[in-house]
Amino acid sequence: MNTMTRLPSGRIPDSRILPAVWKLLFLRLRITYNGFRHAKLRRKIGMIFIWLLLLGFAIFILSMSWLLLGLMRSPELVRYVGVDVKPILASIPALTLSILFVGTLLTSFGVLLQALYLSGDMDFLLATPVPIRAVFVTKLFQAVLPNFALVSLFGLPLLFGLGISNAYNILYYPFVLIVMIVLALAAAGFSSLLVILVVRVLPPRRAAEILGFIGAIIGLSCSQLGNVASSFGKAINISGTRLAGILLISNTRWLPLNWAGQGLVALGEGHWLSSILLLIATLGFAIVTFWFALVAAESWYYSGWARMQVVTRKKTVRSLHPVNANISNFRFGLARFLPKPVLAIVQKDFLTLRRDLRNLSQLISPLILGVIYTLSILRNSGQVPAGNGDASGWFMDSFRIMLAYSSVGMSLFVGWMILSRLAGMGFSHEGRNYWMLKVSPIHVGHLLMAKFLVAYLPALGLGFIFLTVISIVQKLSLLAFIYSLIAIIMCLAGMTGILLAFGVAGANFTWDDPRKINAGTMGCLGQIITMLCLPISFGLFIAPLGLAQFFNFPIAYGYLIGLVVGSGIAAGFTFIPLRLVRKRTERLDEA
Amino acid sequence: MNETLIETRNLVKRYGDTVAVNDISFDVFGGEMFGFLGPNGAGKTTTIKMIVGLLQPTSGAIKVAGYDVQTQSMFAKASTGYVPDTPNLYAKLTGRELLSFVGDLYSMDRGQVAHRIDELLRMFDLSAVGEDTVDSYSHGMQQKASLAAALMHDPKVLVLDEPTVGLDPKSARLIKDILRQLANRGAAVMLSTHILEIAERMCDRIGIINKGELIAVGTMDELRTLDKTGQASLEDIFLGLTGGAEEAEIAEVLK
Repeated sequence: MNTMTRLPSGRIPDSRILPAVWKLLFLRLRITYNGFRHAKLRRKIGMIFIWLLLLGFAIFILSMSWLLLGLMRSPELVRYVGVDVKPILASIPALTLSILFVGTLLTSFGVLLQALYLSGDMDFLLATPVPIRAVFVTKLFQAVLPNFALVSLFGLPLLFGLGISNAYNILYYPFVLIVMIVLALAAAGFSSLLVILVVRVLPPRRAAEILGFIGAIIGLSCSQLGNVASSFGKAINISGTRLAGILLISNTRWLPLNWAGQGLVALGEGHWLSSILLLIATLGFAIVTFWFALVAAESWYYSGWARMQVVTRKKTVRSLHPVNANISNFRFGLARFLPKPVLAIVQKDFLTLRRDLRNLSQLISPLILGVIYTLSILRNSGQVPAGNGDASGWFMDSFRIMLAYSSVGMSLFVGWMILSRLAGMGFSHEGRNYWMLKVSPIHVGHLLMAKFLVAYLPALGLGFIFLTVISIVQKLSLLAFIYSLIAIIMCLAGMTGILLAFGVAGANFTWDDPRKINAGTMGCLGQIITMLCLPISFGLFIAPLGLAQFFNFPIAYGYLIGLVVGSGIAAGFTFIPLRLVRKRTERLDEA
Repeated sequence: MNETLIETRNLVKRYGDTVAVNDISFDVFGGEMFGFLGPNGAGKTTTIKMIVGLLQPTSGAIKVAGYDVQTQSMFAKASTGYVPDTPNLYAKLTGRELLSFVGDLYSMDRGQVAHRIDELLRMFDLSAVGEDTVDSYSHGMQQKASLAAALMHDPKVLVLDEPTVGLDPKSARLIKDILRQLANRGAAVMLSTHILEIAERMCDRIGIINKGELIAVGTMDELRTLDKTGQASLEDIFLGLTGGAEEAEIAEVLK
C-alpha cells in the first residue's frame, strides 16, 4: 500500500522562518502567561508589585539622568570643577552599550547552555516540521530577553535622560532602542558559539556546574568588595580625574563597541555623515556577527560536532578498592562509636557535597566571609581603644572580655552560615535519591544522627580554625581559648539541632538543580529562629564573665556558671527540636 | 507450599478523596515469581511502595518475610530489595561507592561488601565503569546499578517496578535469568511490568490490578479459566479484564 496517498493533502510544512519564530515565541509567552494565571493570588499580587516597582525605578532613573546630566552641563559647575564634562557626557552611550554587550554575552551563556543542551524541548522542537533556524533564533531571543530587559531597565532611561538633557534630535530615541536590540542579539550569537565550543570540551552538565560555581564565587566576591574596600579604604583611592580618564576611553575610535555610542551621539547632535557611517558600521557588524553565529551554531549543533567532546575525562588509576581504603581511614577514630549506616551516610554526603560544584559554591560562601573577617580582625589586632584613660578598671576588663568574645561570636556566625546550608537542607539534599535511605533498615535516630554530623562537623571545623586564628591574633589565654571552644562546640550543636529540625519540617525532595533546593517557609523560619537563639545561647556563656567582673567575684565563678547555663541551654536546643521531629522524619517523602 | 514472604491484607491507600488502592489482599511465596500487572494509574506502584515501606497504608496490613512493615519495619526492610521504576541513584558516587554505601546501610561486613561488589559489578558487566560516577552511566547501566544495589544484601524478597524498561535485550535477558535464579534459591520475586510477554513467560503467578482493585490473581492456567475458550493469551485475559474499549478508540483515531 502506498502510505503517501493516505497523508492529508492540504498539510504542506511551512518553511518560512518568521512565522515559525513568532509561533515559538508565542508559545513561550503563553507558558509565562499560564504561570502567572495559575499562580496563587499572593504571588500574583507580588509579581504585579515588583513590575510596578521596576517601572517606578525606570522612571526614577530617567528623571535623575535628565536632571543630573543637565546639571553637569551648567557653566558654573564646569567652571567650579575645572573639567570639560562634554566628552564625559558623550562617552555615556558608548559605555552603556559596551556594558550591555558584555553583560549580555556573559549572562546569556548560562541561559543558552540550559536552553540548547539541558532543557528537554530541543529534541522535541527539532523533530517537528519547524525550520531549524527558527528554533535557534527563538532560543537566542529566549536567552537575550530577560537580560535585555534587565539592562534596558537601567540603560534605556539613562540614554533617554541623556537625550532629553542634551536636547538631542528626535531620531536619537528610536535608534537607541534599535542599536540596543541588535547589539544584544550579536552578543547572544557570540554566546551561542561559546556555548558550543565549551560543550565540545566539557559535558553540558559539568559546564553548568562549573559555571554555577564561578558565578557564585564572583557574585559573593563582588558583594563583599564593599567590606574589603572599606577595610582597606586608604589603599584604594580613585580620584575624579582618574575616573574621568577611564570614562574617556569610551571615546576612542578604534574600539568597534564604541562606534554605536558615538554614532548615537552624532545622530543626536545632528552630525549626519558621521552618524550614518558609524551606525551603519555598528548595525552591519552586529547583524553579520549575529548571522554568522546563528548559522555556525546551528550547523555545529545539528551535525553533532559539539557533542563529540575532544577532551574525555581522564580516568585516574586508583587502588583496587579505593572506597574501602577511604572508609577505613575515615573510620579510624569514629568506628568504635558510630553505627555503620551513620558512617555510610556521613561519608556519602561528604563525597557528594564535595563532588558537585553547585553544592560547593554554596558552601564556599562562609569560607570567603571567614577569610574576609579574619583579615579585618588581623588589621585591627583586636586591641581595646585606650580612650582618655578615665574608664574604670572593671569596665576596661569587661570591655576587653566582650571584645575578645565578640570575635568568637564572629566565628560562630561563620559556622551558622555553613549550618544554614548543611543542616537546614540536610534532608532536602537527598532529593530524589531519598528512597534509597527510606527502603533501608536505618533507625530514624541514626538517620538524624548522620545528618546532624554531616552539618555539625564542617561547621565545627571551620569554627575551630577561625577561633584558633583569632586566639593567636588577640593573644587569648589558654583558659579563654578552651572556654571559647566549649562555647562554640555547644552553641553550634544547638543551632544544628534547630536547623535540622526545621529542615525535616520543610524537606523538599523534588529538585533537580542543587541551587534550587530550598526548605521554603520552614527553612527561612529555621534561619530566623537560630539567628535569635545563637546570641542567647552564646550570651549565656559570656554574660556570667562580665557579671563576675562587675560584682568583683572570682572569674572562675563566671566560667562555671557560664558553662552550666550556656551548655544546658545549648543541649536543649540540640535535642528538643530533633525529638519533636522524630515521628515526622519516619514519614518523610510520603506525599 | 513455601513460606509466605509477602502478605498483604485489606490494603487501602487514599489520597484525600481519591482511592489509589482499594482493599487489596494477596500473598507471594518463597521460590515464586509474582507478576503484578495493570493499566497506567491502576495502583501498581502505590502497592509496591507500601510493600517496601516507602508509603504508609491508610489501612490494612503488610508482612514481609514474616515481619509487619509498619511495626517491625527494620526487620522487614532488612529482608527486602527494591528496584524502582526510575533509577534515581546518587549521581556523584561511583558505581563501586554506591554499592559500598548500600552494603553499609544494611550493616554488612566489610569483607563481605568488597567481595559482593566485585561479584555484582562483574555479573552486571559494570566492572569497567565501577570507578566512574553514576551520572556518566546510560539509563540501562543505571538500571543495572540499581538492581545490583538491591541485590547487595542478598534479600529474601525482591520487589521490582518495571525492571526491564530501557534495557537492551542482553541486559533484559540477564535480569530475567538472575530473577529466576533468585526464585529458585527460595526468594520471593514480585515485579510489575507492562510487557505481558515477560509476565507470561517468567512469572509463576500473576495478579491483575485495575482502578485500585485486585481483579484477578493466580497461575496462567487459573487465569485462563476466566476466559470462555480457555486458550486465551495473557494479553487477551488482561484486556478482557481491564476493558478494551480504548482499542476501538485508537483504531478510530488512526483510520
